[in-house]
Amino acid sequence: MVLDLTMSMAILALMGALATIAGCLEDLESDVGSQSNPNSQVQLAPQMGFLHRIFNKAISGEPISNGMSAVIGGTVTTVLLSQKFYPLTAIVIGAFFGAIILGIFATTSYAGRVASQTRFKQPLYMDIMRYTTPSIIGHNFIMNFCLVAIAYIQFEILGYPFTIPFLALIWGISVGAIGSSVGDVHYGGEREFQNREFGCGLNTALSGRIVRKAESGLRNSIDNVWFCAKFGGPATGIALGLTVFFSSWPTTIFGYTWKAIGVGVLIVVVLIIMNRLIELNVRHAYGPYKEEKNEKEAKA
Amino acid sequence: MSDVKERSPNQLLLIGIIGGLLGIYLTYLLPFAGDKIGGNPAIVLRTIAPTFGALGGICAVVWGADAVRRVAKYGLGTGVPSIGQIAMGMGIIAAMFGLAIVKTIVLAGPIVALVTASILGFIVGWFAQNVIKMKIPVMIRCMTEIAASGTIIIIGFSAAVAGNFEFANIVTLVFDNGIILAVFWVGAVAMLHPFNACLGPDEKQKRLLYLAGSTGAITMAIIGIAATMTLGTSGVITLVLGIGLWIIFYKKFWDEVYHDASSVVGTGLIPKTEA
Repeated sequence: MVLDLTMSMAILALMGALATIAGCLEDLESDVGSQSNPNSQVQLAPQMGFLHRIFNKAISGEPISNGMSAVIGGTVTTVLLSQKFYPLTAIVIGAFFGAIILGIFATTSYAGRVASQTRFKQPLYMDIMRYTTPSIIGHNFIMNFCLVAIAYIQFEILGYPFTIPFLALIWGISVGAIGSSVGDVHYGGEREFQNREFGCGLNTALSGRIVRKAESGLRNSIDNVWFCAKFGGPATGIALGLTVFFSSWPTTIFGYTWKAIGVGVLIVVVLIIMNRLIELNVRHAYGPYKEEKNEKEAKA
Repeated sequence: MSDVKERSPNQLLLIGIIGGLLGIYLTYLLPFAGDKIGGNPAIVLRTIAPTFGALGGICAVVWGADAVRRVAKYGLGTGVPSIGQIAMGMGIIAAMFGLAIVKTIVLAGPIVALVTASILGFIVGWFAQNVIKMKIPVMIRCMTEIAASGTIIIIGFSAAVAGNFEFANIVTLVFDNGIILAVFWVGAVAMLHPFNACLGPDEKQKRLLYLAGSTGAITMAIIGIAATMTLGTSGVITLVLGIGLWIIFYKKFWDEVYHDASSVVGTGLIPKTEA
């Protein structure tokens, strides 16, 4: 389908918006279950004697698990589209299937991991299972919906030569990778080791000594997602949204020309310079990590 | 690590290879036998045949999950998902090579693929052991097994979508519409998830194998949905049987969890420990 410039910009804006929502929800979904990087500390905690009430969703890294739910969503959508379903209905049902399957995998990983920690007396809390799993499914459903919708737009409207499951898989892997690199930072150091000084780094002796008590009562995964929704999730969303926008914007405006490639390179250079400026600014503001007195004594 | 071994590696190897290949060959031989008989049985056999490919795939998932378990037990925590992916990578290369190279001798396809996968796996394992020097004694054997089970998973589930394992058929019905990606990705997760989900010092093989059955059955159900598009009624049979098997294995897995877990509580405070 050939589109005029206004229409292509509208499609690009829609894709950027969908990607932003998908990125945000992906990061929050991984935080509900303590997936990816923060998972290692949750897994280690019982071993250090720190029993907890946090969900342990060890399906795999985020790219693989999100790729899985997205490719299932894309496959089911393709099947329904071949049966002449209305596209929106097909995408919703497909996304729902992907999310349900991810939820099933989540329950088995929580139960399996806890059952493998018997010697540390970690109990399997069924209430955690009951109210965290629907939250995982819900977050993942919205993410799947956005990703399969992007894949549908690319396949049907932009005329990409790839199939919907393929595009959905690539988007799932991308969103997982970006969520893992951007959002996890916020959950890992800032939430699990909240009682330590900010920026102190993770000493080996601190491994597994995660924060287990909330503002009131015991902390669980819903408290964690509440915290991450303030910054980590939206930051991930903006990261993915901007990635989609900036990578498609040059070709939308200038077509597939050398000019577009030049603009793309220019965007990358500007981003590198901006990153460097932020880094210098942060170094200037916070300076190097100051060792505490007793740490210095311990070294000496 | 548990010392009690309920199933030996060789036993699971036989289950994987014989079950897997039997399932794959039945997708081809049942319609063939049906044509000889003719009439209504022919239609029935033709309809149920593709489902056996998925059942063979589940056998291979169980075998592969145990192979992943044996190699990943040597402290490959974050490496488990990578192992699943490399298995499918080797598996799909071998499967396509094997099915495409035989041309007219269709029946030889899966065997050639299996042998190719084993050679690929052996080479990768040898490199990991002797060039990268990972010092894992079971590395070579496990990589070979993982690659072989990966190729059976790919061929089995592809045959369940395409109806049989003829290369041209698989290209039109599995590759062109992108369903191979569901086979590839969900198959990989099905194989890597059991060990990843049961990882820990008190991991038990029995629980892992039930979970492998459950993840394999989930893959079968998804393949069933995809097959309703390509094959119609056969896909529905695969889907329903997949869901049925999933319920059985999932229930078994939970029975094991209730048995193995330190305590299963509705809710409660954190038990007192020294920390």
